[in-house]
Amino acid sequence: MEPIEINVKIKRFNPEADSRPYWSDYTLQARPSDRVLDVMHHIKWEVDGSLAFRRSCAHGICGSDAMLINGVNRLACKVLVKDLGNRIVIEPLRGLEVKKDLIVDMDSFFDSFKAVLPFLINDDAPPPAERLQSPEERARFDETTKCILCAACTTSCPVFWTNGSYIGPAAIVNAHRFIFDSRDKGTAQRIDVLNAGNGLWRCRTAYNCTEACPRDIPVTQAIEEVRRAMLFRGA
Amino acid sequence: MYRGREGQWAFLLHRISGVAIALYLLLHVLDISLVMLGPDGPFDAFLAFYHNWPFRIGLLMVIAAVVYHALNGLRIILMDFTTWGVKIQRQLWYGVLVLTTLIGIPVLWVVVPQILAGV
Ligand code: FES
Repeated sequence: MEPIEINVKIKRFNPEADSRPYWSDYTLQARPSDRVLDVMHHIKWEVDGSLAFRRSCAHGICGSDAMLINGVNRLACKVLVKDLGNRIVIEPLRGLEVKKDLIVDMDSFFDSFKAVLPFLINDDAPPPAERLQSPEERARFDETTKCILCAACTTSCPVFWTNGSYIGPAAIVNAHRFIFDSRDKGTAQRIDVLNAGNGLWRCRTAYNCTEACPRDIPVTQAIEEVRRAMLFRGA
Repeated sequence: MYRGREGQWAFLLHRISGVAIALYLLLHVLDISLVMLGPDGPFDAFLAFYHNWPFRIGLLMVIAAVVYHALNGLRIILMDFTTWGVKIQRQLWYGVLVLTTLIGIPVLWVVVPQILAGV
């Protein structure tokens, strides 16, 4: 595809040097088939080395490069220039503290993830081989195994923007992954966490999380399933 | 503004209509309670004051808010308590908007001419 001229606006902020965020404007050539991440590499490597952002795999697997692109949270490595047109606006994820430019502090996000005990809990004596599970039992939580912890969902949530201690959709998705796993016995412990004041009852079903998920996880559906499990299992 | 889709607007409208209804209810309780001050109290004067057209238009908006809030509340109940509600949440929301409008038309039909005529 022939290169086209595009205009890229990036919200910049270096807390050590700037008193407030500002916009950097770049006009450059890009192919419509380029990913936004390619465009950002071009800027960082050829135009302005001071631009800071995270990325690692560049293929939608590691979850490093979620950002607010043209008003919606997505992975820079998964969205193409041709899907955005020739004006691209990039901002850091909302609701998390900016460390520099597009790099946000993910500590509180991972704390919420750890709080739901995202690992298999089962103190029964292990069987001689694996803990077996039928394909149907495995399928029950298949969608929520796909999370890459990019934070696109949690930082698209209006409840999280106004209350940063809300546990957030990503943590609930990862709780769902184990609550509906037939081999897991830790549901009671997880429900204690989710039932707390800033737990899953804060969700107001705005669906931004579901729309933002780069892995197409039905996030709101997962939240509602966990809620119903909590209500009807008498937890 | 985050470029959310139907769900975000449904949530925002639900919140705004909820706050508006709560504020109206507060005002309503306060001025109805003035009747306790007896026939010579300020009740009649307040009632006449609320009969001015800006308040009557405000009342139409309160009606719209109540209808939207009630219908969207049913949508939320379906999303919370059925396995299929979340999957058709967009269609449900459009249903809420259409029904709110349909209920609003006869209200406007009756009330707007009254406001214009000053009755
Ligand atoms: S760089 Fe790994 S998900 Fe985009």
